[in-house]
Parts: sequence; C-alpha cells; structure tokens
Amino acid sequence: MTAPHDAHRPPLPDPLPRIPLVWGPATYESVTDQISEVTEKAQPWWWWPAFLVTAALLAGGVVAATYLISTGVGVWGSNNPVNWAFDITNFVFWIGIGHAGTLISAILFLFRQRWRTSINRFAEAMTIFAVICALIYPTMHVGRVWYIWFSIPLPNANHIWQNFRSALIWDFFAISTYFTVSLIFWYVGLIPDLATLRDRATSRARQRVFGVLSLGWRGSARNWRHYEVAYLMLAGLSTPLVLSVHSVVSFDFATSLIPGWHTTIFPPYFVAGAIFGGFAMVLQCMIPARAAYKLDHVVTIKHIDVMCKFILATGTLVGYAYCMELFTAWFSGNPYEWQTFQDRAFSGDYAWAYWVMMTCNLVVPQVFWFRWCRQTPWFVLLVVTLVNVGMWYERFVIIVQSLHHDFLPGSWGRYYPSWVDWMQMVGDFGLFFTLTLLFIRFLPMVSMAEVKGVLPMSDPHRRPVPPDRYLKGEDGEYPTADHALAAAYGPPAEPRAEVPPSPEPVPAFVSTPGGDGKPWGAVAEFANGSQLLAAARAAVAAGYRHVDAWTPFYVHGMREAIGRTRSRLPLFTLAGGLTGLAVAAAFQFYLMAYYYPTIVGGKEYRSWEAFVPVFFELTVLLAGFFTLFALVGLCGLPRLFHPLDSHPTFRRSTQAGFFLTVEAADPKFDADGTRAFLESLGGKHAAVVEA
Amino acid sequence: MLAAGVRFARLVNNSTMPAIFSRSADFRFRQAGVGLVVGLALFAVGFYYYALPSYTRVGYRPEQPVAFSHRQHVGQLGLDCTYCHTAVFESPHANVPAAQTCMNCHNPKKANVKGASPLLAPVRTSYDTGQALGWKRVHKLPEYAYFNHAVHVNKGVSCVSCHGQVNEMAVVAHDQPLSMGWCLNCHNEPERHLRPVDQVTNLTWARGSGPEDDGAAIKKNLAVNAPMNCQGCHR
Repeated sequence: MTAPHDAHRPPLPDPLPRIPLVWGPATYESVTDQISEVTEKAQPWWWWPAFLVTAALLAGGVVAATYLISTGVGVWGSNNPVNWAFDITNFVFWIGIGHAGTLISAILFLFRQRWRTSINRFAEAMTIFAVICALIYPTMHVGRVWYIWFSIPLPNANHIWQNFRSALIWDFFAISTYFTVSLIFWYVGLIPDLATLRDRATSRARQRVFGVLSLGWRGSARNWRHYEVAYLMLAGLSTPLVLSVHSVVSFDFATSLIPGWHTTIFPPYFVAGAIFGGFAMVLQCMIPARAAYKLDHVVTIKHIDVMCKFILATGTLVGYAYCMELFTAWFSGNPYEWQTFQDRAFSGDYAWAYWVMMTCNLVVPQVFWFRWCRQTPWFVLLVVTLVNVGMWYERFVIIVQSLHHDFLPGSWGRYYPSWVDWMQMVGDFGLFFTLTLLFIRFLPMVSMAEVKGVLPMSDPHRRPVPPDRYLKGEDGEYPTADHALAAAYGPPAEPRAEVPPSPEPVPAFVSTPGGDGKPWGAVAEFANGSQLLAAARAAVAAGYRHVDAWTPFYVHGMREAIGRTRSRLPLFTLAGGLTGLAVAAAFQFYLMAYYYPTIVGGKEYRSWEAFVPVFFELTVLLAGFFTLFALVGLCGLPRLFHPLDSHPTFRRSTQAGFFLTVEAADPKFDADGTRAFLESLGGKHAAVVEA
Repeated sequence: MLAAGVRFARLVNNSTMPAIFSRSADFRFRQAGVGLVVGLALFAVGFYYYALPSYTRVGYRPEQPVAFSHRQHVGQLGLDCTYCHTAVFESPHANVPAAQTCMNCHNPKKANVKGASPLLAPVRTSYDTGQALGWKRVHKLPEYAYFNHAVHVNKGVSCVSCHGQVNEMAVVAHDQPLSMGWCLNCHNEPERHLRPVDQVTNLTWARGSGPEDDGAAIKKNLAVNAPMNCQGCHR
C-alpha cells in the first residue's frame, strides 16, 4: 500500500516490516554464550600485544607524572600567559568523551531507543574510564598533588572553605557527581550479567568474585520490579547530568573575562561537542571490538549508521557554534573580542589549529549524509579518528589560543609543549585503552540481560513469518537496503518449546547444605517467557500468594502476573534528592553567609543564584545513592546463599531458564500438592527445595 | 512424609549442587559491611583528633639547654615578661634574652645568685664567650604566615592568649594549636579576648565588670581591625 502523494519515493509497504535490533538466529543461550565466553576463554592473539603497548604508554604517563610531582609543574610547557595548556585541554577532551556513555544509557533509555542495549555497556564503561583519565589533569596541574584534597569541602584546622560562587568548585561537584552516578548506573546495569558469569563459572574463585559482585542476584521477578524502576530513576537522574556536566565545565571559561572565553554560547556548544566527540570515541572502540569478537549481529550496521547520524547532527551544531562565535565577535564591536577571533581564525600563530578543528569537526562529518559512508565500518573508523583529532584541537584552540593573546599586547606569549606534556598525554591514552582492554577481558561488554529482552523471540506479540518472506514487503522485495542487510543474517530463532533436560536427575525433594528438613518451597522450570507468564497467572489464579518467577531478563508483564504492584522505590529516590538539596542549601548558606561571609563579584552574602549548580549536583548525587541503597535493600540483597541454588538446573535462571516458585510461607502450600500443581502447569524438573 | 523425604534425599542424592557460599556467608558479608562503615567512621574521628595541630603541636615541651623555670621566675618571683623579652612591644619578632640578662642576677662577680650552680654553667659560658645559648624554639609560625608580635600586644592581646599560663610552667610547653582556624577564632571576635594594654603581661588578670575591662570598648579605643582577608597574613 502506498500513499499517493509519496510518488517521488519508491513505494514502501505499510506497515514496513520492522528490522529487529539483533540480527540472525540469536537465542538466549547463544547471546549468553557468546558474550560470556569473551571473559571466560583465552583472548584472541592480538590482545596481549595490544595490552603490552597500551600498558607501556601508561607506564610513560606514570613516569611523566612522577617527574612532575617530584620536580614541580614547571616541567610542563605551561607558562604565563598560557597557564592552562595541555593539562586542561586533555581534561576537557576526556570529560567530553564521557558524555556519549551517559547519553546512550540515560537519554536514549528515556526515549525508548532500544537499540541502545547493544552498545550501552561499552559506552558506559568508556564514560567511567574517560572520567578517570580526565581527573588525572586537575590533580596534576595543582603541582602539589598531596594538597588536592583541599578541593574537597571538609572541615579543617584552617577553618577555610571553598568559594561556592566559583565555577571551579561547581566543576568539582559536577565531575564527582557525574563519575559517581555513572558508576552506580553502570554497576546496577552489570548486576544481572555478573550473576550470569557467576552461574557459568567453573572455578571457585570466579564463582566467589562474581558471587559477591552480583550481590546474589538470581533474576527474581520481585527483584526485577524494583530493578526496572531503579534503572528508570537512574536514567532520569543522569539525563540532566549529561547536559549539566559539560555546561559546568564550560563555566570554567565562560565566567572568566578572557576574550574568546567570555561567551554565553559556551554551555550548549560544549554539550553538543561532548556528545559529538563521545560518539566518535564509542565508534572508535566499538568497531574494532565488534569485528574482533564477531559481534556484528548484535552491534549491527544499523547501530553504526544511527551513531553516525548523531555525529553528523552534533558536528553540524558544533560547526554552527564556531561560525556564530566568529559572527558574535565581529558583530559585538568589542575590539578585544574581535582581535582574538581574527588571531584565532586568520592571522595568529594557532590559525592552523583552528582550521584543523574546522575541517575535522564541521567539514569531514558531512560525508555522513551518504549511506555508504555511514555503513562502511572502515570508513567510519577513519572519519571518527579525524573527529577525535578535531575535538582535541577544539579544546586546544579555545584554551591556548585565547590565553596567548590577552588584553595587553605586552603580556602576549606563546606556548610550546614540553616532552613531559606529550608523555603525560600519550600516557593518558594508554590508561584509557588499558582500562578498555581489561574491561573487555573481565566484564561482559554487551549487556546480556538487556539484549535478551530485545531479541525477536522475547516479543510475545510477534507473528511468525515464513523464512522466505522474512523482512520482505507484499511484493516479495526488500523495501529498503537495510532490510536486505538484516535479512542476510537469516530469520530469527523461535523460542524453544521444550525445557532442556537436566544434566542429572532432579529429585522430588532437593536437600540443601545445612538445611533443617523443612521445605523452602516448590520450584519448576518452564520453556520460555510466555509459558512462564501463563503459569504464574495460573498459580495466582489458583489462590497462591507467595509466587515468584525467576528469569534471565525482565519478562514484560511478570510483575502483575505474580500479583505484585509497582515498586515504591521512587519514594526513596525522592527522599534522597530532597536530602541532597537540603544539605546543599544548608551547607552553602551557612558557609558563605554566616560562617565566613565572603563577598564575591559584588553580590550579597545570601544571594542564592550562584548556589544553584551545587544544589543540583548534590540533589542528583544523593538521589543516586538512595536509589542504589533502596534497590539493594528492597530486593533483600546481598543474598549470597539461597536454597534454590541446590536445585540442579536453577542456575539457568540467569542464562536462559525460566522458573516459577511457590514458597512454603504460602498458606495454600502443600509440599507434594504444590509440586504436582506446578507440573500440571507444564513445569519440568519440579522439586520441593529444603529451606 | 517430609522427614522421610529428607532422609531419602540425603541417602540417594549425593550430587546436590555444591553451594558457592555457605549459609553463614550473608551474615558475614553484612558484618564486614558494618565493620567497614564503623572502621571508616573511627578513621575519620581518629584523623580529626590525632592529625590536627590541636594534637600534633599542643603539648610540645622540648628539653632546653638550661632548666629555666618560668614558674619560679614569673609565678613566684614576679618578674614581668618584658624584663627578659624586652622587645615584644616594639619588634615584630618576640626576642629571647641574651645571657647578659641572666647575669644581671646570676653573675658570680656581682649579685651572685646561685653564681656557682652547675645548672647555670651554660649561661656563664655563653656570657664569657659570646656564643648564644641554643634555646629550642617552641612556638613557630609557618613562613607563609605574616605575624607581627608588637601589633598584637599593643592592641591588647595578652601573652596568655597565645602562650598559655607561662607563669605556671616549669618547662615551657606549646599551649595553643596556633593553627589558622585558631587565629581566626580571635580575628573574628577580638572583643572577647582583648584586655587593657597595661594588663597584657599580667598573666593572672581576670576580666572585671568595670568599663575599662569592656572588650568592645577596648576594641573601639585601640582601633582594632583584625584582618579577615587572606592578604592580612599571607602577604
């Protein structure tokens, strides 16, 4: 069916067959195996050489840092007037890199962009590593690194506190909150996958390490209902963080009076640039990893395509900001501003850097208007490398060029990086890639639990399509080239209809180590999520109340099926946010207006406007902590020991198994009767488990 | 039925999955968590008690080359501070006396108080040779803190405020933390610490209720304007 006014377009079927997010016949088992085995088996041949190279670079960075700490910041090329140079350039560069992770994990989650599931784990890990790399520089550039704790507001014998009206303390709060909340978000996302690794582990050490790290997660539907809400809360908290962090970083410049820095366009321009550079770095790491670990059906061409569109959009935004800066400098009629931009773009010592930036950030990404450029991995890799170079130069131009031409020609100067600058910078890249390689080696780089949830087979409403019609329109043709690409991987697998056999016979009564002989409850395994959903509904309809379902991912509708309501976890998030806000308000007003009244910028002691950034950051920080603790508390974690672990097949619950339990606490529970009831619902390996 | 089931299971089914963690693991895990929190809290409390100048500097009592007792000379004999520390009202640096000052009384050829005491031998040597006695410095401010001794005592800050009850010390000890926060306590509200200038060296003075002892009035009359800005001390 084609709308008549679309005559200029090729006729598209309506509805268009939906391209799945994971291509080919992937199943719960194949996803679990493929992702887990990266961390379980020996690494491919190139891993060790790559690791040695990055570790050697990192060692160079350690040498540079040691030399600086033992000698002084003078070993850097930073000078007067260019007091900030490579240090803050790299700091802003890395903080920017971190933005893609949070954007993918938070904003795309809120917008229901489910394609994020394939890349969010990797991008979030890169966020964490990038922030670690960024934090090196503020620490180093204070010179006496052992005094870096002065930047933390702590009671001290000097009775002095930070100036809460300074952009630098906002930056401290913004970055530490960003790091902490990103870490919480990442960890919460990892919990189900850590449990998967625990249940697959064959060595005692791996079992114990992942057992503790996963806090005893077993995929109970009662836990999933809190988990899903906690994840939503964290996404909601992180969303404003994405926009705030680089805004606050830009305040470090924008609130100063330096020509080239003192512009209100900085916050949106920095945020767009951060997302631009962040996506480039995600692709830079993801494309080789995808090829090396054969993940092209999980991180598909379509993923790369969409990320390239992000790069095109944000790159154009950034390019607009560059042009607008020039225009504003000219239009303002401010001679200092205009001479700075003339120097920056045309006549100055660093004009070459400006044009590198312009070319890499504005011109080169325009190739992504073309499908071939977006869908050819090696070409994308080339472009994103240039984007990363361009984004580094953007920060270099903003910082070094603005500083080297001050108001007074008498104080003009130039900047030359020293070998220590170079070694520190290269060492930081070494740190980033070392951490990335270790992450690939030890943790699942794709979120297994989330990817299982978006597999075609986990959609209970899907209609089977004959393989020869897969992704084709009514005319038997693929409507778009993307459909043909996805179809080349083959049609999706059907959910299995039978429970796989147990490796050992399942006794009717499963005893537990140190058990007291009383039953904990009855358990049975089901073939797939739809069967389990039906069985749970039947159990509740039969009058059972203490029903629980155990699944590798959150099966949509399971919360209601086991007779539970929406989690009350958001109340804890709200309480945390209000606590943070109250703490921030009390703290800042008391310190700035009463304890040590300080006049900053000619404002009143009690003027509140400059306190807003810290209000916001502490609200988010405490809300994040409360959400984490509420999740752990409401789920009854950590729960390292559980009677169900003694059931021979139960450890499948974090991989591809679906289990239903009725606990002995249920008034209707009767050991033999309930077990028989679960079997009558189609459950296999049914047993009563000792408490 | 169940008990029989348990026995049967134990008998037949030896292959229960080996549990990763024992039943008590959760309790121990929580215990460790509580221990961690308590440990961190103890560390914080300990840090704030042991690592600050109120602990690290107060009570410093070095052994001096001569066992000079302030308790005896000031507390019992009633010497004024300025008898020995002559320049404290004029100089930015408070001085320790030369051996000459001791010899006003202890010179065996003149007043001859304890003129032959072996305890005073270093003083006599110093007097004869002109070599300074190696007094150990007790109160020392960092070089980045500018401190003018004369200004403080001339504005009604007593010796006691910073040096403690020296008239009761047989051996001089560090009495106050001399940390920046401690300085600011007084700079913030000088009127609570000021006294009439003629009572500055009176170590046993107590504030009376008369108008001459009113701190606020003293502050006003002496035009005390204790700086609270950074450059006041860090010049």
